[in-house]
Amino acid sequence: MISFITNFASAIESLAKIHRLLPWVIAYILLLFLPNLITATFGEYYVDLANRCCLFILLAVGLNIVKGFCGQVTVGHIGLYAIGAVTSALLAQNYGLPFWLSAPLAILVTCCAGLVVGLPSVRLEGAYLALATLGLGESVRIMIAVTPALGSSTGIMMIPAPTIGDYVIESFDHYFYLVMTAAIIGIYFSFVILNSSTGRAFKAIREDVIAASVSGINVPFYKLLAFVISAIYAGLAGALFAHMPPGYLHHNNFTVIEMVTLLLMVVLGGIGNIWGGVVGAIVVTVIYDQTKDYYFYQPLIFGITMVFLVVFMPRGIGGVIEQAIVKRKFIEKHEEQNLGTS
Amino acid sequence: MALLETRGLSKSFGGLKAVSGVDLKVQPGTVHGLIGPNGSGKSTFFNLVTGVYQPDPGSHIEFDGHDITNLQAHGIAALGMARTFQLLRLFSEMTVLENVMVGNHCKTSYGIVESLLGTSRVRQADQNMKEEMLDLLEFIGLANFADIPAGELSGGQRRLLALGRAIAMKPKLLLLDEPGAGLSPVNVDKLMETILGLKERYELTVVVVEHILKVVMSTCETISVLDHGQKIAEGPPEMIKNDHAVIEAYLGRELPDDEIRNAIRGQ
Repeated sequence: MISFITNFASAIESLAKIHRLLPWVIAYILLLFLPNLITATFGEYYVDLANRCCLFILLAVGLNIVKGFCGQVTVGHIGLYAIGAVTSALLAQNYGLPFWLSAPLAILVTCCAGLVVGLPSVRLEGAYLALATLGLGESVRIMIAVTPALGSSTGIMMIPAPTIGDYVIESFDHYFYLVMTAAIIGIYFSFVILNSSTGRAFKAIREDVIAASVSGINVPFYKLLAFVISAIYAGLAGALFAHMPPGYLHHNNFTVIEMVTLLLMVVLGGIGNIWGGVVGAIVVTVIYDQTKDYYFYQPLIFGITMVFLVVFMPRGIGGVIEQAIVKRKFIEKHEEQNLGTS
Repeated sequence: MALLETRGLSKSFGGLKAVSGVDLKVQPGTVHGLIGPNGSGKSTFFNLVTGVYQPDPGSHIEFDGHDITNLQAHGIAALGMARTFQLLRLFSEMTVLENVMVGNHCKTSYGIVESLLGTSRVRQADQNMKEEMLDLLEFIGLANFADIPAGELSGGQRRLLALGRAIAMKPKLLLLDEPGAGLSPVNVDKLMETILGLKERYELTVVVVEHILKVVMSTCETISVLDHGQKIAEGPPEMIKNDHAVIEAYLGRELPDDEIRNAIRGQ
């Protein structure tokens, strides 16, 4: 299994040598056929599931930037998602803005909120930061739940679907193209960030704050930047969620349980590992959906899974695979050197 | 003019004066030793100078013509001051190459927005930086380990990497906090050779805290001695070796026989 993945990884690497965007374009084209494939084999409902997977991929990838790269424990991410969703929904419904305008505005609002959620990180660390962000995230949900203008207990209904000219994107498989494009772009940029000086600064902060600061990294600034970038992802996912058919959102979509599910995705996939987060998002969303008849036991099982993961596989699926790839490369390099000298 | 100058540098933690009123001048191009018994304030001195701690009011630190007394650590680093830590503080989950690249952070030639968009200029600049950093790793002898996590290096290699990360900043002044701690005497000599090699190659000024006096005496041009947070002596190695206050600080004060007898009897 692992040797298959390492072969796959090196195949992608050789593709990337031709042009660095080539693997992305190929993946994108292949994914364009996915809705047809899913409809033919499983039925249309599963396209909707794929759409939700894409949303959670965006959320998990964004959370990975602040938690995985930068090491800041945040439990307020779902609150940002809620802000993105409600802002875009209200702008579209009350002011008649098209999706293409309401979504960027929602992202902008979410960024400001992300800055607020990030502020405690300048002073607090670890569990204390988790508590502070939890409070902020949960207060967003409660605010939505008690304010009639934000939907309160009935939720916001009849949120208009995005349109291109006269065409309305309201079927599941057409909406898939939208969310999948967003997810692919999101994943791509998270790689760009990881490999830049900004990504290295994030990781340095995660590893050792003091060593990072004497290396010339403006620690508070980069911490806030990580929160703001993750807020862009959350805001985008939120806006896409709000306009997704059937165009309905309710504050129950933004509970702490959802946040825990999101954390489970990131932990299962491997904290700080981008593909791990993607795999985690897909696996957890699908399992969550397929076991919803047993919803009573879900939180229990998810909790136990989380504990076992942290104890036995702290680096998640992605971490295990990454280690295998690194080890293989190291061995190959040394074999080459030995051949060269002998 | 001195590259680093402190005047009346003080820091207290609660009632404890870790550093009090230290005046120190480091001349450019020299290797300056800082010695003293445990708890004499050497590490605190480093932490104050590099901005990890904020000094008490009334202190004054000047570096390369800038007043850095109230600057934060990253601002001081950007002016060209690098340091290593006694406990290394490597970024252990990042690769060896990434560690030195973080050291080079201040020299990044592109802006933050550009780095988020991943323009071709960013990729080009990163590629150049990578080559430069591999060159540095080659010099300190870690080029073969560039792609493995820093946490998997051996103790001696970690010390080298900590040094490499500091050098990657292309600093004017390099502060070394016990570079030889935990190394065998042979390896300490090798390390000092590397340090002197780096000093020549990158035209550095070095301040070194070290407990192995042999090393300090043989490499430093000037030595300052701290005891209980105060500077008790300063000068070339020969002078320090024979300084009465220094010997007392290290070995304790000599007492006349009858005073000792009285102390033992509790009188």
